[in-house]
Amino acid sequence: MRSSSFLSGILRGYTVLMFAFVFAPIAFSVIFSFNSARFPTIPLESFTLHWYQTIWADPDVWEALRNSVIVSLCTSVLATALGFATAYTDYRYNFRFKSAYLALVLLPPTIPLIIMALAMLAWFSKIGASGELWSIIIAHTVLAAPFAMAITRLRLNQMDKDLESAAWNLGASEWRAMREVIIPFCKPALISAAFLTAAVSFDEFAIAWFVSGLNKTVPVLILEIVQGNIDPQVNAIGTLVFMVSITLVVAAQVFFSLRQSKSST
Amino acid sequence: MTFKATDILKPTRREILKISGAAALSAPFVSRAWAQVTEINMLAWYGHGEADIVGEYEAANNVKFKPKYYAGGDNMLALIAQSPPGTYDLILSDGEFVQQLNAAGYIEEMNAADYPFDDMLHSDFEKFPGHWKDDKLYSMILRGGHLGVSYNKNSVSAEEAASYKCFWKPELKGKVGHFDWHLPSLGMMSLYNGNAASLFDVDEAAWTKLKETTLSLRPQVGGFFDYGGTFNSLKNGEMQAMCGIGDWITGVLERDGAPVASVIPKEGGIQFTESYSIGKGSEKADEVTKFIQYMMSADGQVKSAQMKAYPGFCVTKAGRAKLQEVDPKEAARSGQVEGNSNDPIALINEGRIHYRDIPKQQSLEDWNDFWSEYKNA
Amino acid sequence: MRQPPRYLTFRVYQGVDLSQLNPVQNASPTERRMDIFALTWRLPIIVWQILFFVGPLLFMVAMSFFLVKNYVMQETFVFDNWSKMFSRGYFRDSYFLTLFLATLSTIVASLVAFPASFALAFKVSESTRRWALFLLIIPFFTSYLVRIFAWYVILAESGAINAVLSTIGLRPYTMLNTKFGTIVGYMTLTLPLVVVLQTFSLANVDRNLVQAAHNLGCSPWRTVYTVIIPLAKTGLIVAALFCFILSFGDFVSPYYLGGSKPPTLPILIIDTTKSGQQWPRAAVIAVVMMATLITIAFAAITLAYRKRASR
Repeated sequence: MRSSSFLSGILRGYTVLMFAFVFAPIAFSVIFSFNSARFPTIPLESFTLHWYQTIWADPDVWEALRNSVIVSLCTSVLATALGFATAYTDYRYNFRFKSAYLALVLLPPTIPLIIMALAMLAWFSKIGASGELWSIIIAHTVLAAPFAMAITRLRLNQMDKDLESAAWNLGASEWRAMREVIIPFCKPALISAAFLTAAVSFDEFAIAWFVSGLNKTVPVLILEIVQGNIDPQVNAIGTLVFMVSITLVVAAQVFFSLRQSKSST
Repeated sequence: MTFKATDILKPTRREILKISGAAALSAPFVSRAWAQVTEINMLAWYGHGEADIVGEYEAANNVKFKPKYYAGGDNMLALIAQSPPGTYDLILSDGEFVQQLNAAGYIEEMNAADYPFDDMLHSDFEKFPGHWKDDKLYSMILRGGHLGVSYNKNSVSAEEAASYKCFWKPELKGKVGHFDWHLPSLGMMSLYNGNAASLFDVDEAAWTKLKETTLSLRPQVGGFFDYGGTFNSLKNGEMQAMCGIGDWITGVLERDGAPVASVIPKEGGIQFTESYSIGKGSEKADEVTKFIQYMMSADGQVKSAQMKAYPGFCVTKAGRAKLQEVDPKEAARSGQVEGNSNDPIALINEGRIHYRDIPKQQSLEDWNDFWSEYKNA
Repeated sequence: MRQPPRYLTFRVYQGVDLSQLNPVQNASPTERRMDIFALTWRLPIIVWQILFFVGPLLFMVAMSFFLVKNYVMQETFVFDNWSKMFSRGYFRDSYFLTLFLATLSTIVASLVAFPASFALAFKVSESTRRWALFLLIIPFFTSYLVRIFAWYVILAESGAINAVLSTIGLRPYTMLNTKFGTIVGYMTLTLPLVVVLQTFSLANVDRNLVQAAHNLGCSPWRTVYTVIIPLAKTGLIVAALFCFILSFGDFVSPYYLGGSKPPTLPILIIDTTKSGQQWPRAAVIAVVMMATLITIAFAAITLAYRKRASR
């Protein structure tokens, strides 16, 4: 399509613009996290690390971070385990109501968070479990398990169907085949799923805000600052969280591709 | 039978188990380490649990405040209602909601002898409405602030700001913001209608008129904001005037050099009053009492007046004297100097200030409902 | 390193048809054996989702019939909340506003994303595409709230865009606290996802068909309309649907960039929850939102798959 090279140029330029739109707010929050102005406005004032020092010295930030780490670690383990079990069931078994079963598993991400938040809040209050850290963990697991399921299911698709049966044929029990064939095979996907579900949980604020009570996570703390004192600390926190998440995602990516290339050799 | 491949993978799996096991074990350990200090759960408006207020006290007394922030009295009541009794040890509430807290049985009786009632700047503060019941104390007044016309000096003159009428100024179309809570905003509309002291005690006819007046302001309105949004939109000039607030927000911006101010217009202003109560069933009542005493001391009162999130005036004479001594600039700015025309105590004495209250002849729900309707108008 | 070849040889040695032993093949017709192994993998998610997903949602529906007295919920069965909410003009207005904004957001996102997705799918190299998609994943890992807060600074009257406008002599343009601001916020939330999903579906379009259309003298525009879009339709509709769902349920953009003027349904849920413990009324709003979303999702999915089946 040589005749349309002019059009291609325009399309490419347009795409770059669109990326600029997507990244503008991220870039601005990084820039303003180093800007001394108490209320971020143009033009910039002087360079400062003040906001980073503020959050470093703030025990509430540390506690929120501790809560966030606990919540996303537990969510990650639970959601990955549930997601794997479900993916395996879908991969291996056919049964009645299977589509209902899959719908049950895959629906949560399509329900608006604010509705989930209200429903969870009411339900947890009803069963006397609101305001605890593990209420957030439970809610986040519901939300994240479908992602873990999807990733693991894709990996299982790549598995030779005969692999498992061969193991049985060699005398391994179903349990042993699971332990020594299926799980090792899925390991890269499980690790990816663990990272992804952790990230989903780490950034979720609507449900966490509704059910957390006094146990704030980092995004809830950010929400409180935005609703409250609205100061550039949020940019500093946001930038740090961004760095951590990106490191995790890149690490997962590198790990995954290394594994892939190793196992394909 | 062995599978070589899995043998290679096994150690890694064990390691993962080991790491996650360690993480699971260390989680409670970490919280135990934190639990060595006494944790005090606080329910308050934003800022009351921040380091500039409680930091010094926490360090000196080996306690740690865990704040939960709310906006608006109904929000506060809802939060208490949805948590198990005893969840909140210390409740900072608006003065007008103490009565409701008490009626619902959410707060403990307090011992009046623990607090400096002989040192109050105004006699009203000694027996503040709703804080006492059958001669028993249920809440300790901490601070107050006055709400009036808040405006940007670049587009509203001091003369214009002397009446709520300025909100209807044609040049301000789309530039008038609302603090997103019905009580102060509707209270101001009530004052504008001339209801003066009975601003929250309006009969059916006055309530209808109040709604009409409010709705007529709607075309001027540029947005409804929470605390943070109010702040930002005044600071960056999005909003040139703000209804429902006062020095508690413009004061912070003024300190930062923004050309904004708040005045009490001729129709009168509203006082918000913030008071401490002890949550029913709290196991830390003694610790909480100690903290309230600290906040009522001269040092505590100064901290409250200087609070980073938003200022409030001192209610004790000792507090005011100390503020004038350590921070004369803030004392002058906020009028907490005898003879200053903005002296909040003088304003009360002149009868220009009305304590914020809950609606007397309608239910809170009616006001709330109308507020939703107004926002959608 | 892995062993499949060994198994395969092994299968040949044994001369057994291993697939006979594979439950995938023989399970479906007569699966009577509900063994512990199968249940171990199947049951946990069922129990979990019923307890913590279906349970809360059903309870929320039930809650819409409860009453609140003195800030305490009473488990009753009355229609008060429903009649109350439906008699309120602001609820109806808010409903149509939210529907309108989410639809607008979906249209804008789909249109804005399409040229970029098209470029990524057809005009760049494989590795550029992979990098672009990776970049588009990044926003999912940054705090949405922080990004919205950053828009404040960009869109404000004293902000970055107006600073640029004023240097070329234009008057400041009000973008915050308008529907424009809300849509910018929605785009922040949805655009990366829409581009990713659109790119996937466009990249899967059979190049031979595109080439064939081109060879038959079809203009580029016509190729896009008559070949590419119909072929990628399912993915495009799914992307739009996700955009709709996310916009419909978001409270941050309309509140912080739209000035809550007027409030959308998610803001109304928060307002109602905050004021006086009126969870049952919030539940009414939530149930109405769910019903709307289910209807729209059903319609969209039918639309996405119908033509394809008749092809």
